[in-house]
Amino acid sequence: MASNLKYPEDQVLYFIRADQLGLITTYSSTSETRTSRKAYQAIDHAVTNGLLIHYYGSPKRVTAITDTPDVDNLLHSSIVDYVKKCLYMDKAGRSADPGAAQASLALAANHEKRFNNAIKKYGVRKREKTGGTRAVVPANFT
Amino acid sequence: MSHSLHTLTVKQIISRVRQAFPSAPETYIMSLVNDAITEMGEYSMKSQSAKITLAANQMFYDVGDGATDSSSEKMGINKIYRVDIMDNEGDYIQIPRVLDGEPLMFDITSESVLKEPGE
Repeated sequence: MASNLKYPEDQVLYFIRADQLGLITTYSSTSETRTSRKAYQAIDHAVTNGLLIHYYGSPKRVTAITDTPDVDNLLHSSIVDYVKKCLYMDKAGRSADPGAAQASLALAANHEKRFNNAIKKYGVRKREKTGGTRAVVPANFT
Repeated sequence: MSHSLHTLTVKQIISRVRQAFPSAPETYIMSLVNDAITEMGEYSMKSQSAKITLAANQMFYDVGDGATDSSSEKMGINKIYRVDIMDNEGDYIQIPRVLDGEPLMFDITSESVLKEPGE
């Protein structure tokens, strides 16, 4: 199933609606005459591997203790903070002693803050690989 | 030139956690590690690509958490930033995104793709 689309950049458009990607085209394999109201329709023929999407994806989950988390290594130590935050909150919930519970909550808040700071700091900084001095190229008005 | 990066395995993360919680169960820690990774996924930029086979007259394609590509691999899409369509020469050509909504005419072929909440 090959594609009949000669100029997809001029004939096909996409849009995102929640968890769905919509594809519409003005192209018709049968050269069907369309009014402007119905100009955009679904692609009318099947194409094996016809759609290539590029996206930011979820990291893979870990399944074994030998796995390395599928996130940037700058964020690895922050995972420890996240886990400790959860465990301190669990401990606060289990504790019968209000003082101990309060101390656990304070530590949970501390680890949560460290985790949040790290993902904001490094999550943004490492978002792209572009670096170095920016060169400004002025438009040529001549 | 090769250089080694400092990374942590799950085993090392468990070891660090157990400095404060010596009896914390391994499976529970691993579950929390996956929670952390999922949350970090919203901030990281792991760029991926996937191919999907186009069905005739189908307007909508699932890109949700459970969506799979043409190799039946789960895609795990957070944000789509580029879409290409195969042309008649087998090359992938970037297509533009419509910013303001949907076409006037809807397709009935996508009915099976659209699911009611709870289905």
